[in-house]
Amino acid sequence: MPEVPEKLLLVENLEVRYGATQVLWGISFSVVKHAVTCIIGSNGAGKTTTLNAIAGVLPVKGGSIRLDGKPITALPSRERVKRHIALVPEGRQLWAGMSVEDNLLMGCYLPALRSRAHLNLSRVYDLFPRLKERRRQLAGTLSGGEQQMCAIGRGLMSEPQLLMLDEPSLGLAPILVEEIFGLIRDIARQGMTILLVGQNIHYTLQVSTYGYVMEVGKIALGGPSEMLLNHEHVRRAYLGIA
Amino acid sequence: MTAVEFINLLISALLLAGLYAAVAVGMTIIYGVMKIVNLAHAGFMMLGAYFNYELFEWLHLDPMAGALLSLPVFFVFGMGVHWLLVRWLPKSDQPTLSSLLLMFGFWLVLQNVGYLIWGNSDRAILTAHRRTLPLGPITIPTAGLVVFIAAVTCLAVLQFILHKSWFGRSVTALIQNPYAAQIVGVDHQKTSQLTFGLGTAFAGFAGALMAMLFSFNPDFGRPFLVRAFVIIVLGGLESVTGVAFGALILALIETFGILFIPAGYQPAISFGLLVVVLLVFPTGIAGLLKRKWRLA
Repeated sequence: MPEVPEKLLLVENLEVRYGATQVLWGISFSVVKHAVTCIIGSNGAGKTTTLNAIAGVLPVKGGSIRLDGKPITALPSRERVKRHIALVPEGRQLWAGMSVEDNLLMGCYLPALRSRAHLNLSRVYDLFPRLKERRRQLAGTLSGGEQQMCAIGRGLMSEPQLLMLDEPSLGLAPILVEEIFGLIRDIARQGMTILLVGQNIHYTLQVSTYGYVMEVGKIALGGPSEMLLNHEHVRRAYLGIA
Repeated sequence: MTAVEFINLLISALLLAGLYAAVAVGMTIIYGVMKIVNLAHAGFMMLGAYFNYELFEWLHLDPMAGALLSLPVFFVFGMGVHWLLVRWLPKSDQPTLSSLLLMFGFWLVLQNVGYLIWGNSDRAILTAHRRTLPLGPITIPTAGLVVFIAAVTCLAVLQFILHKSWFGRSVTALIQNPYAAQIVGVDHQKTSQLTFGLGTAFAGFAGALMAMLFSFNPDFGRPFLVRAFVIIVLGGLESVTGVAFGALILALIETFGILFIPAGYQPAISFGLLVVVLLVFPTGIAGLLKRKWRLA
């Protein structure tokens, strides 16, 4: 009998609305431990909303989110950081006027993490030597790729068991896109559980093991990424291959 | 104007700037974190002045000690005001009308409580500090110098707190990007309460310092409110340095403006400057500089 992969995150019938506009219409999916799961889809499909709802930044209207079997749907975002869920948001969302090091340190803001802040900092610097070189610089003066590294570094500072990456390659030059996805692969190889959202569908499916296709607030398709990469609908709608 | 006159004016402008910075910095951090224009700041300053006055009258405490004592007392008071009133305001990225009205109303309450207790006659703290320090032809008022040193020291301590402590980093994080602050687990409510306490502490402290220089009544603080606005518009909300910078510009213009316009029109300078700045560069001087390193 094949081993059933253990699920870290289980999302069931999740519904989110902004005022009168419903954005998520009861989506269900799961994130497998120690693997990369991705959500792909076009602009406005609800991918970022999904991640924000899991991070607890957005109120949920219906459905449930479970982490390791325990419901976290009603917890404030701070409690979810405490349960080691980290979000690397779309557009990086750094503090432009703070130094790179202070940006990273803020990833360890929770009192439970502070004692290990400097240990985690040296780990992040090992992973991103370029951030160490620029640690005294203001984050706003970094290049796009370095800002993305800083945002990922901040996420790693909170010792995540689930790392959510929202459009990590957005607005980056092709060579940097390759570099960032290489880094994600490295982090995944160390056993991190990753939920990746991307518009760069080719790279996103290649780096992930499982994938879901999201269309106008619903999950249209799900399965192993390799299968999706060869799926006729995905090829036609997202990869431009007939 | 002789060189000596010029230097004397420059010194008084500098001393004034320290005081202005102490007044404005409390408003700045409260606005930055909570987007509340704290009109009650003037009321807190007034209370600070009377606090120092009462300590001096009844306990014969040195006014400098009284000013330092006002910091913890007003910190706790500010946290109480936040717990009682401010935390119920709806959260917003923009200043809301409800927050403006609440703080304005609270200022009126403080003012009228002041009238009830102390009446409407002017009070002053008269101490031996009212001398001048002669340095040849240049004179420095001792009280002004002491107040300046106290104000600048406290600003430096605040700057240190904002840059080197977890609380300070969370304040900066909330000012620069509240969404990112939420993601890493910053407790907006708790940081807001501490910030409100800190801002109030600085208001009380500034009021207590000013009581050593000026006479006061329950309306005390009002003229400094406009000045605080000008300083915030000039210097921006990013840092203590910005506030100090704005305070320096305003103090220089006010001090040297007296050479050109009658002293009675001095309050018009800050109003005029506010209008000019808002018309010419609405983002403030700090906003102009900031564009250089804004995130893409």
